[in-house]
Amino acid sequence: MNDLCADIGYKSINHFGEELCGDHVDVVEENDNSTVIVLADGLGSGVKASILSTLTSKIISTMMAEGLPIEECVSTIAATLPVCSIRGVAYSTFTIIHIIDNEVAEIIQYDNPHVIVIRDYEQYDYPKTEMNIGGKKIFKSSIKLHENDVFIAMSDGCPHAGIGGKYNFGWKREDIASYMQALVAGGYTAKTLSTMLVDECNSLYGNMPGDDTTACVVKIRKREPMNILFGPPSNRDDADRMMSLFFSKEGKHIICGGTTASIAAKHLGKSVQASLNFEKSDVPPIAYIEGVDLVTEGVITMNKVIQYAKDYLKNNELYEEWNFRKDGASLISRLLFEEATDINFYVGRAINPAHQNPDLPINFNIKMNLVEELSKCLKKMGKRIKVSYF
Amino acid sequence: MLIVKVCVGSSCYIKGSQDIVELFEKGIEEFNLQNEVVLTGSFCTGKCNREGVTIQINDEVHVGITRDNFRTFFKNNIVDIIEKKRM
Repeated sequence: MNDLCADIGYKSINHFGEELCGDHVDVVEENDNSTVIVLADGLGSGVKASILSTLTSKIISTMMAEGLPIEECVSTIAATLPVCSIRGVAYSTFTIIHIIDNEVAEIIQYDNPHVIVIRDYEQYDYPKTEMNIGGKKIFKSSIKLHENDVFIAMSDGCPHAGIGGKYNFGWKREDIASYMQALVAGGYTAKTLSTMLVDECNSLYGNMPGDDTTACVVKIRKREPMNILFGPPSNRDDADRMMSLFFSKEGKHIICGGTTASIAAKHLGKSVQASLNFEKSDVPPIAYIEGVDLVTEGVITMNKVIQYAKDYLKNNELYEEWNFRKDGASLISRLLFEEATDINFYVGRAINPAHQNPDLPINFNIKMNLVEELSKCLKKMGKRIKVSYF
Repeated sequence: MLIVKVCVGSSCYIKGSQDIVELFEKGIEEFNLQNEVVLTGSFCTGKCNREGVTIQINDEVHVGITRDNFRTFFKNNIVDIIEKKRM
């Protein structure tokens, strides 16, 4: 095993006026280091396309993850998909990116725009083998992974963007590739890259997409551990044990909570310097302890982080809010969503007497829920989470 | 020199420590106390109250400071003390 991992992010927009998306992305983790990602584009748009693409991606991802060969997956789909009553065909295009042991990416493509690969910030033209399975022309490639490789899979809504409007023949694949090449150099996460591509398509469509448009980005990166301390231990005697465990771990250290910060400061023999910089009116200021990467207030800040996390997983609309600001919630969001791949939570179960005030919108249950909710969101972002309670 | 620590912990934050800091900044300017008062923040001092913000002046802890009683608090605990020292 190497220390690489795959950061996966995708975004779709619907055909103008449609409630459902005819593209579907499905990600199945085979094990810790292997993942199957399928992007399927159903024929047409709306309900029919949505059913076709969901079936296709689900069937392929499940079968591939179980180790079945591609030939079998394709024949299963051909036998299963409902036939369109108008066109008389059962049809959904697909792209499969199969990450194996974080060492090799197997790419299988059928009729979608070909996957763009960017390696060392240059476009990389990878070899493809043509196969014929059940009359379908399928391209297969196998690429050894390098750090910073970026794979961009898309539905044909991307190259069709702007057709007949901004561009005569749409946004060509080569042009998308050079657009993305510049963005990849910016060091953005997979989710952000896919959002930028889809948003650009949307604006080329004049905000009225003529087709369902989806981009799925897989970015290969080094593992980056991060440790986060939240709340004092329920038993005071455990404080030192908790602190030494926390500080002995590799990676950055974040401390959330006032009392927690003062316990940590005592453990380190340093002082807590709270700043009075109210960067953002709904998040309390941060503080500084020598030797700790970030110190913030607890529940209010964490609540905001969860709000950002949920948005990041969906439409990524608050990105500009947390990507530039310097308040506690934005700083944590950047560290957790963008930088970290493995996150260790050290959660104290102490009941804060200050939170027992009925006037406050905080209580112990909410605090425990916060950790659970946040770790659920982070897992969906593909991070490895470990939570220890004290 | 007075070291004033305004609590910005969760509880005090909700009760308006941001406003209190602003009032402090204005007060310090108004009475020209820039050389006598150091304004800083602190995390929870464990004196959480039903009402108002906790403020620590040197080693003394005051609780329940709100926008309404700030003026009196500032006069009694900051302005008067500094003037006494000056005399």
